[in-house]
Amino acid sequence: MLDPYYLQQLTIGLSLGMIYALMAIGFTLIFGVLNVVNFAHGEIYTIGAFAGLLMIATFGPPLLAVLLVVMAVGALAGFGLERLAFKPFRRFSDEASMKSRAMREATLMSSLAMSIVARESLELIFGSQFQSVDLSYLINKQIQLGPVTIVNGDLIIFAVALVMFLGLQWLLKYSTIGLSIRAVSNNPLGARYCGINTDRTIILTFVIGSVMGALAGILVGLYYGAIYPSMGFTPGIKAFVAMVMGGLSSIPGAVISAMILGITESMATSVVSSVWADMVAYAFLLITLVFFPQGLFGARRERV
Amino acid sequence: MILSRRLTVSLALAATVAPLAGWAQDAPIVIGYQLPLTGNTAQYGQDFKSAAEIALEKFNASGALPVPVEIIYEDSRSDAKEGVTIARKFVDNDDIVAVLGDFTSTVSMAAAQVYKKAGVVQLSQTASHPDFAKISEWQFRNITTQDQEGAVNAEWMHEKGIEKVAVIAEQTDWGQSVVKGFTTPFKDMGGEVVFEEFFNRGLADFRSIITKIDETNPDAVYTGFFYEDGAQFLKQMEQLGVDIPVYSTSAAYNDKLIELSGEAADGLFLTATFLPTREDAGVQEFVEEWKSLHDGAAPGQFPAQAYDAVNIMLEAVVRAYPDVTRESMREAVAATTDFPGVTGNTSFDENGEPLKELTKATVENGEFVEVK
Repeated sequence: MLDPYYLQQLTIGLSLGMIYALMAIGFTLIFGVLNVVNFAHGEIYTIGAFAGLLMIATFGPPLLAVLLVVMAVGALAGFGLERLAFKPFRRFSDEASMKSRAMREATLMSSLAMSIVARESLELIFGSQFQSVDLSYLINKQIQLGPVTIVNGDLIIFAVALVMFLGLQWLLKYSTIGLSIRAVSNNPLGARYCGINTDRTIILTFVIGSVMGALAGILVGLYYGAIYPSMGFTPGIKAFVAMVMGGLSSIPGAVISAMILGITESMATSVVSSVWADMVAYAFLLITLVFFPQGLFGARRERV
Repeated sequence: MILSRRLTVSLALAATVAPLAGWAQDAPIVIGYQLPLTGNTAQYGQDFKSAAEIALEKFNASGALPVPVEIIYEDSRSDAKEGVTIARKFVDNDDIVAVLGDFTSTVSMAAAQVYKKAGVVQLSQTASHPDFAKISEWQFRNITTQDQEGAVNAEWMHEKGIEKVAVIAEQTDWGQSVVKGFTTPFKDMGGEVVFEEFFNRGLADFRSIITKIDETNPDAVYTGFFYEDGAQFLKQMEQLGVDIPVYSTSAAYNDKLIELSGEAADGLFLTATFLPTREDAGVQEFVEEWKSLHDGAAPGQFPAQAYDAVNIMLEAVVRAYPDVTRESMREAVAATTDFPGVTGNTSFDENGEPLKELTKATVENGEFVEVK
C-alpha cells in the first residue's frame, strides 16, 4: 500500500503533468510537427487567458461560452501571428530561399519579437500584476478521492487534453488536412510541387495550434486563478522541454514527457527544496540533448 | 558640486534681488528615485511612483519652499545590475541631492555600495533586509525589519500556545531575513521549527510544498511571501483541505490578497503598519487621493510606505533648505523625529532604522481587521 503522502504527491504530479501536456500539444503541433520555429506560443496562451478574463468580467457567461470565445480569439491570434511574423519570410518562392535554413530560422526572432510586443502591450494595458478573476469561475472545487484530494479542474483539464490529443491524432493521420500538414513539414518544396497549398496549410496549422494554446491558457488561468501578462513564460519552457524530450515531432512523445516532467517535479519536491524543482525540467532537457538527441523514445521518422 | 554652486548663486541672487525670487524656479531641487517600473515586480514600482507623485504634487502646491522639488524616476526592473547602473548615473548627476529606493533588499543593497562611496543619502521605502541600513551612515529605510516583525509574530504565536511551526519564504534576501527574524526569537521562547523551506518567487503551484508541510503536522505556518504568492498559497491550502493557521508579514498585507484568494484568506494572521481604515486625517487624505487615481481601490501598505518615504525626504529638504547639499541632506534625514506619516510616527535610530509600531491584523469575512 502506497503511503497517502506519496499518493498525494503523485496525484499533484499527474495534474501538473496534464497542465504541461495541455500546453505542449499545440506547441508541438506548430513547432515540432509543422517544423516552424515559433516562440510566441506562450503569448497565445496568455492572450487566451486574458480574452477569457475579459469575457468573464464583462458578460459573466457560462464557462462553456467563455471557452468557445477563447477558442475563437485563439484562432484569430494564431492567424494574425502567422501573418505578421511568418508569412513575410515566405515571400520568396525560389528553390534557394525555400531550402534556406536562415529563412526558416529567422522566424525565431520574428516570433520572439511578436511575443515581446504582445506581452508588453498586455502589461501596459492591464499592468503586470495578477488580474482579479471572479472566484466563482475558478475550477478548483475540491473532490476527495479516498486519501487524495483533487479538484474539478483536474478532471476538466484531463478531459480537454484527451480530446485535443485524440482529435489531433485523428486529424493528422486520417484527414486530408493532416496529410498536407505532414507533407509540408516533411518537404515544403515537394509539397508545393505536388499541388498542396502550403500557405493555407501553414495558416491552418497555426490556427489549430493557437486555438489549443489559448484554450490551455484560460483553463490553467482559471485552475490557478492567476492571470497575468507573463504567465505564458514558464509553461512555454516546460512545453518546449517536453517537446524536445518527446523527440521534437511526436505529439504522443510530448504528452508522455509532459507527464514525466510533472510527476518528477512534484516528487522532487519531497526530496529537495522546491527551489530546485524547477531544475528538473532543465536537467531533463540537458540529459535528452546529450544522451538521447532523437528524444527519449528513439528516432521515429514519421512526423505525428 | 555644480549643484550647490549653482544653487547658492541662484539663491544669493534671489535673496539680493528679492523681487526676482522667481529666478530660483530655474533650479529645482532634484531627488532620484530608483524603482522597478517594468518587469516582474513592476506593479510595486508603479504604485510607488503613483504615491510619490501624490506626495510631490501636494508638497509643491503647498509652497513650503520657494523652489520646486523634482523627482527623477529610473527603472531598475528589480535587477541588481541595473540598480547599480542607475546608482552610478544618479551619483554622477550633480543635481541630485538624495535618493529614494530601491524596492527589493537585493537591489537596494547592491546600489547602496555606490551611494556609500559617493556619499549620497539613500532612503528605501521597502528594503527590509536587516543588513541594509547597516551598510553605512547613508542608508535609511522606512519599513520595519523582519527582525522586528518576526519577533512580534513569534511572541503572538507563543501567547496562543503554538509550539510547532513550519516556516516557508521566498528565495530572496528578504525571504531569508523573514525566516531568520522569526525562527531565532521563536526558538528562544522554546518553540520548535519543524519545517523550513524556500520557494522561487512567482511559483504557480504550491501543492507539493503544502503536502510536505501537512506531513510534518505543525500547529501553524509562518510565511514570508508577497500578496500574489500569498493568494496562490492560501487558495491551494484550501484546495487541498489543509487547515493550519497561517501567519505572515506586512508584505502580504494588501487588499488584492483577499480579492485574489476570496474566502481562502479568512483567518490569515499578519503584522502590518498601515491600515487604510484607520481614522486619521493624514491617512484618510492619502487614501482618498489614491482612490481617486486608482478606480476606488484602497492603497496597500507598500504605496503607503513610499508615500511616507517621499514625505520624509521632502521634510528633510525643508529642514536643510537653503543649504541643500548631499551632506546636509543626510543630516536632515537623520534628524527625522516623530514624523507623522500614514504608516505611524517615524523616527530614525542611529543606524537609520525606523522606529514604528506594528499592528496585529487578521482577515475576517474578506476584510483586514485589527487584532487588539
